[in-house]
Amino acid sequence: MKINKLPTGVPGLDEIVGGGLPEFSFNIIAGAPGSGKTTLAHQFVFANATPERPALYFTVLGESAIKMLRYQQQYTFFDPAMLPGSIRFINLSQVVLEKDLGAVLLQITKEVEKSNPAVVVVDSFRTMIRKPESDLDLQSFIQGLALFLASWQATTFLIGEYAEEELHDNPIFTVADGLFWLRQTAERNSIVRKLQIIKLRGQDSVPGLHTFRITDAGVQAFSRTFGLTGHAKNPPSHRRLCFGIPELDKMLGGGVREGDSVLVAGSSGTGKSVLATQFIAEGIRHGEPGIVAVFEERPQAYAERAVSLGLDLETPQKDGKLKILYLRPLDLSVDETMHSILDAVQKIGAKRLVIDSLAGFEMALSPGFRADFRESLYRMIFALTGIGVTILSTVEVDESFTEFPFSTYSISFLTDDIIRLRYVSIDGQLRKIMVVIKMRGGNHAKDIREYEITSKGVVILGERLTNYQGLISGIPVHSDRSDSTEEPPLDTGIERKT
Amino acid sequence: MESPSLRVYEKLRQSLGEFVGVVGFQSLASRALTLARPEAPSLSAARVTSDGSLQGLGEIETQIDMDKDRAGEGGIILIARLLGLLRSFLGEALTLSLLRNAWPSEAFDDRNSVHGRKA
Repeated sequence: MKINKLPTGVPGLDEIVGGGLPEFSFNIIAGAPGSGKTTLAHQFVFANATPERPALYFTVLGESAIKMLRYQQQYTFFDPAMLPGSIRFINLSQVVLEKDLGAVLLQITKEVEKSNPAVVVVDSFRTMIRKPESDLDLQSFIQGLALFLASWQATTFLIGEYAEEELHDNPIFTVADGLFWLRQTAERNSIVRKLQIIKLRGQDSVPGLHTFRITDAGVQAFSRTFGLTGHAKNPPSHRRLCFGIPELDKMLGGGVREGDSVLVAGSSGTGKSVLATQFIAEGIRHGEPGIVAVFEERPQAYAERAVSLGLDLETPQKDGKLKILYLRPLDLSVDETMHSILDAVQKIGAKRLVIDSLAGFEMALSPGFRADFRESLYRMIFALTGIGVTILSTVEVDESFTEFPFSTYSISFLTDDIIRLRYVSIDGQLRKIMVVIKMRGGNHAKDIREYEITSKGVVILGERLTNYQGLISGIPVHSDRSDSTEEPPLDTGIERKT
Repeated sequence: MESPSLRVYEKLRQSLGEFVGVVGFQSLASRALTLARPEAPSLSAARVTSDGSLQGLGEIETQIDMDKDRAGEGGIILIARLLGLLRSFLGEALTLSLLRNAWPSEAFDDRNSVHGRKA
């Protein structure tokens, strides 16, 4: 028998709980005040209540019902027309204040038998323990309530204020089928909200801490699996995606392999963003929609800069072929960023994605997420390339004349292809060179090529630099060698895309 | 005989009491009475008890029943202030929903509201 799953009404949460909340389950939403417990319960109620099988929302002590509804109705999910036909709010404060837990249970039983609800919420059940009764009393109450509500085919939420240290060895939690823990922590000047499904019987929920945000639409959760659970991984592609820079595409053996993660590394002013813009523009020219995630400048500025390279990013934006995402800085989580990117990918069917830049991306995250940046990038790149998106990320590296680093994040292993840009001192000039460091999917040229940034973007000059030694040190030495500069043949064995 | 205003008040007490609790309703009603008194001096003797019920209104209305023009005016003002409070806290749509719940057989419309149909 398959257990029926109910929509949670919380965007992103269905994925996390394994497709929906088990019908007739008995759940506890726990967390500190202000962590979003009541809002989450309201979303579930509004998503599932009907006039035939209404929701009963029992308020106890704590937040007054009027104030609660006053604030809750600010959320877009709140439909006043559902009150009181589909959703009934019942205040139990008098019973709690004047009587005991047995009387509370009796009152709930009476109301449930009268209304035949599909959903029951007790908010907050923790405030019922104000009298110095034993834990056993409360446990008996919870046990009785759980048994009764399950028999009456109601899916139940008990809401309680709990501190982190109360999580362990609490017999109350043993009774529950589902335990949702909401956390809100301050990280320097950022507030980060995280949700954990501690337990959920009979469901393959996604483990770990998932970030969530409370917006005017209520709680929105961002799964660590980025909503891609069940998505088949795209088979490896042999298509090559060009930059539209003939010499560079040749160096790459025809372009980067579709579904690759490409890292363009270089110091400030070496043209990383220019290269990224050309990559996106070339894709659009070939009918491959693209997304540019920018963190350091506004989309308008990004598009305007492209004009100076002879690239029109305005028209494809209007035509739905390009989306430039400006992601809110300073308190993002990677999961949230991914949600925005995936949303855009699905909307326009994007094939290419530019992240410009990783340093900006890292800065946009709240401090706690920066610590996990490498792990987060790994999850993100794996997820996006898995659905066939080709990612080009730019990264600024500190230029050194003794070393040749590929990135400041030690993330080279996460990328399939690396293109390194750098300055070199030649003949009294600071020139730029480019080299393809690595291509996981095939052969590539080993040439070190000089390039310039012109009004047409990146232009590779002449042949490979054969008359210098130590180019990658940035301070090459002119050699008298006059070997042929004829290009070695590339045998990629891969279909080239023009 | 119970006055019409008192009947309406009692109905609201029962209906809203379930929703906001006895203490919640008592607070609302006390506030409404305070707001209504300056407009209706006849309410000066009325008071809201701890269970939210109203004392003193029925007697007053019976006394002034002789003057038909002012009959029940204090009670009406009190009910109006109570509904006004609900409206300011919950908004028009939700207030109407709660009233429909209290008087399910009555046809409510919001003809007097800025959103409602014009009379």
